[in-house]
Amino acid sequence: MSAIGTGGIADSRVQDICRAIGWIGLGLVAVTVSLSDLLAAAPADATGIGPLLSPPSTAFQLGTDILGRDMLSETLHGLTATVRTALPASIIALSFGALAGFSAARMPAPLAFGLRWLADIFAALPTLLLAVLIVGLTARSWLGVAAGLAATPYGFVHAFDRARRDAYAAHAEYARATGLSRTALLRRDLVYEFRAVLSASAARALASVTIILSTLSFFGFGAEPPQRDLGLMIAASRPYFLHAWWTAAYPALALMTFILFARLAAGLEESEPP
Amino acid sequence: MNAPRRILEIRDLSVARGGKAALDSFSLALDAGETVLLLGEADSGKDELLEVLCRAGESGYAAGGTIAFGDGTAMPAGRRTVPPLRIAYLGNPFLAPLNPYASTVSQLARIVAQKQVAPASTGREELRAALDRFAAAPSLASLARKPRELRAAQLAWALLACALAQRPDLLIADQSFAGLDPTASQALAEALAEEQKHEGFALIYAAQGLLTAARLRGRTIVMRRGKVVEEGDFEKLAAGQCHAYTRTLFQALPCLSPPSARGAARAEPVLQVQGLVVQSRNRRDARDGITFELRRSASLALVGEEGSGRHALVQAMIGLSPLRSGRVALDQVDISLLSPRMASRLRRRIAFIAGAEEALDPRMTLWDVVDEPLRAHLRLPRAVVAGHRENALKRVGLFSHEGRTRVGALCAFDKRRLQVARAIVSAPILVIIDEPLRGLDAMAQTIMLELLVELRKQEGPAFLIVTADFRVARALADDVMVLKDRKLVERGSAAQILRAPKDAETRRLLSAAGPGWLYLPSFRAPQPDAAAVPGAPAETTFLPFQAGKML
Amino acid sequence: MLRFIAYEGGRLVLGLVGAAFLAAAVASAGHLRDGVFPFFVAWGERIGAFAALRFGDCAISGSPILTELSNRLPVTGELVVQGAVAALLIGVPVGFAFAFDGARRVAALLVRLFSAVPTFCLALALSYLATNQLHWHAQHDAEGWLYAPRFLLQPGGALLPVLTIGLAGAAAIQAALRRVAENIAEAPWRNQMRRMGLSRWEIEWNLCLPLFLGALLAHLGELAVALLSATAVAEWVFSLPGAADLFVKSIALQDWSAAGAVLFVFAGLTLAAAFAGRCTAQPLTSPFSLS
Repeated sequence: MSAIGTGGIADSRVQDICRAIGWIGLGLVAVTVSLSDLLAAAPADATGIGPLLSPPSTAFQLGTDILGRDMLSETLHGLTATVRTALPASIIALSFGALAGFSAARMPAPLAFGLRWLADIFAALPTLLLAVLIVGLTARSWLGVAAGLAATPYGFVHAFDRARRDAYAAHAEYARATGLSRTALLRRDLVYEFRAVLSASAARALASVTIILSTLSFFGFGAEPPQRDLGLMIAASRPYFLHAWWTAAYPALALMTFILFARLAAGLEESEPP
Repeated sequence: MNAPRRILEIRDLSVARGGKAALDSFSLALDAGETVLLLGEADSGKDELLEVLCRAGESGYAAGGTIAFGDGTAMPAGRRTVPPLRIAYLGNPFLAPLNPYASTVSQLARIVAQKQVAPASTGREELRAALDRFAAAPSLASLARKPRELRAAQLAWALLACALAQRPDLLIADQSFAGLDPTASQALAEALAEEQKHEGFALIYAAQGLLTAARLRGRTIVMRRGKVVEEGDFEKLAAGQCHAYTRTLFQALPCLSPPSARGAARAEPVLQVQGLVVQSRNRRDARDGITFELRRSASLALVGEEGSGRHALVQAMIGLSPLRSGRVALDQVDISLLSPRMASRLRRRIAFIAGAEEALDPRMTLWDVVDEPLRAHLRLPRAVVAGHRENALKRVGLFSHEGRTRVGALCAFDKRRLQVARAIVSAPILVIIDEPLRGLDAMAQTIMLELLVELRKQEGPAFLIVTADFRVARALADDVMVLKDRKLVERGSAAQILRAPKDAETRRLLSAAGPGWLYLPSFRAPQPDAAAVPGAPAETTFLPFQAGKML
Repeated sequence: MLRFIAYEGGRLVLGLVGAAFLAAAVASAGHLRDGVFPFFVAWGERIGAFAALRFGDCAISGSPILTELSNRLPVTGELVVQGAVAALLIGVPVGFAFAFDGARRVAALLVRLFSAVPTFCLALALSYLATNQLHWHAQHDAEGWLYAPRFLLQPGGALLPVLTIGLAGAAAIQAALRRVAENIAEAPWRNQMRRMGLSRWEIEWNLCLPLFLGALLAHLGELAVALLSATAVAEWVFSLPGAADLFVKSIALQDWSAAGAVLFVFAGLTLAAAFAGRCTAQPLTSPFSLS
């Protein structure tokens, strides 16, 4: 189903508002990330700034962790590390996922369905385990690539099916009957389908890869100290978060807020999986 | 003699939809055995009236006025009531009346059982009995399939049987036979009229086109934008003794008088077909090859019902399906000698105007549909493209529409006109027209025919018309080829065939094109027609062949 | 229908063959550093070994991989099944409640909010609530926690992991239901059948419900993937000795044979679920009948 909704005017207004909130939110995150060094009171992984495991207070708004690190600064730096890894990962997911699926649908049938078969096999694997496999086969520094590639099969399959359906729809047959070339039909799909859904696909990919790479870091396959992203921060808080909830809660909140903005930016279309 | 039983009395019914008045002060008194025809365009208020009658207060519309069913007291229209008589609804098979994922018989039997307050098995038996009354109706066993697996005519018969199995006091038909092949539409209308005479139910028929209304006849209410324009006998209204709007509406009445003789223009040939044999599904039958030539500014109609081979013939002619044998030349170029790429380039000179909903890409905008042939094929500058687009949209009456409107949001009539606009800008040498009036109301049908005649006059392409309806062939074609079972059964000029059809299939299709009383000398309706050649003989009165005897 | 089943069966077989090749490639990953040709030789040998059900030994326990899998798969299986039940119990009512009209858009927003929570955050949040609000007894071990509430006799304290998996699966279930609801809500046949005399309840129960069921079944493969992913997280967070836990540890220890075997099992489960789901959904959701 294309991005063209069939709901009423109120429906599309709600959609537009949600998307606007999502993109504005992502914009704010981008600004925060780029100014993180200015906004953070302490540099990344600076220990002994304050008392150990101090709850939120006026001095340390988000509290401190087991090593006396300022949670606010650490959360900002962690968010920066996460976003900086998620962005290229989402480009990989988009390129090898939606873009590749869209292109593959127009290839000769044997090649197209061969690629679809390959994508089906990878899509049958739990995304998280696929990401763990790729990191294991490569290196931790390939975390972003692993997250991006792991999110690819699903996007490929959906984009392929949609593009295949559009390419052989009845209106395409009528167009071919009147001499419209393949290039012109491709242009139609690029303009109406792909351009319309590109921003939604990009935002969706961003949300997916962020979840994957934060989970990878939580498992211990991601960033290594001293570089700490949000997943690693949450994993590090496991021994004591039951009584020092702020050490896990604020990084988790920052992570969920970023993912939520990405999901909202993707829109509220039911036809696409969340 | 007893007065007929009062079935329905509506007083000052008003319906608001989305804050606007969709129906204003509508009143109607209907007795048993009586027929009322509702005529009007899409926004005339017919749909709102049917919704209120069928849902009896549950529709959710804001409704004023009163409705009395049978002997019951008049109740406010907006109040939920259970009418003290049986009301059956008969929908249109093309408007998705049933769940496409469940079997047809289970749904219809459930409806019959529900209405009769009986078990499902009783509903099935009643449905079977109703189907058995009609020779043309499908069997109960064949209705185990899902609605999309049935042909439109089969589904229409099943819906009719379902409505009649409910033994209604009032039957509400919502453009039930619109879009069907004329012969199927004729048989269904005759069956409905016969059943009404026999069972004595009242009938309200909301008509899209005029053909079924002409067959049923009866009291006619013409509506426009929620108001009643006038009310009267169908024949009187059709004869022209009516309001100007009604007169315009009735221009869509079928006219089968032979067209004016047109000059035998000797323009260059656009389509030359020699010994073409159409691929058949079973490939067992021998086929005679079809040979003809279509010149620029000429027009040819391929008339035949579903399964006659007309679409397969067109596909083979324009190179979209392989030729079993024979030769086809498009613009004097043998298409079998061309590569697929070159054949595609040649097809740029062809335009399609189809009655199918999916002919246009619903994602495209109005402007893009018109611009696309110019940008894709000619790569003209934007300003030039805009000029051509503006001209084309003005000619079809779509210029005032917002250019960024998606095709998916347009109504059927607008989509059809948009196809004409696209054809105008592509300056085709051949226009293939496939059931151009399908799904359009009476007014839209008249306008559509006018647009097509105008297109031919102004641009001068050849017309290849594919239709099951002789009305369309009469209005647009010089020559006619009648097809049945992928064979050519008769051919000739339109005038000759309409005057003296030879083949039984031709006569059958002609008789289905309109009831005979329309063609009595006292009855004439103005029709759009190509310009007559000066000096040609005057149009002669025509009495068609119907049911084996002349009227 | 037979043709459909044969087609889907073919897809399943091809998928399983592909998964086996992929698993064999993973199992041969250790030979990549030797070069491309040695890798392909090792790959071919592995394919033969897999065909003879020879998977080698597990680096974690030293026992044969098949034995290790047979010990761990029941844990994973139990979690997935219990999680699926929890997902249905949560997701189906929520999906139906928010399926129609105005509630759908509100639900879409709520779903976006909920689906922004990564599964491991959900697991930790549930752990926190169980310990600090419900005062469940928490046991620490070297790697994590096992939560065994005093008044529940669930072996291994499986309630929290099951709830974690269930909530993650519920998101996928109610998304599938709302997708169907969006398509059905604007279907013209609903109003037409109301006009023909069926009540709203009859239409929803007899005609719409099979479509919802069909949608769930048709997406069984996606649901299986979501549940397996959530199970992997739950096993890690709650230190449960399941197959996903084996996979993660095998990758960490570069025990490629074990990793390949687990991968094949998971892929096979998902493909089989997708096959079963599509075949059972076909009569319910295809506009064309079985004959």
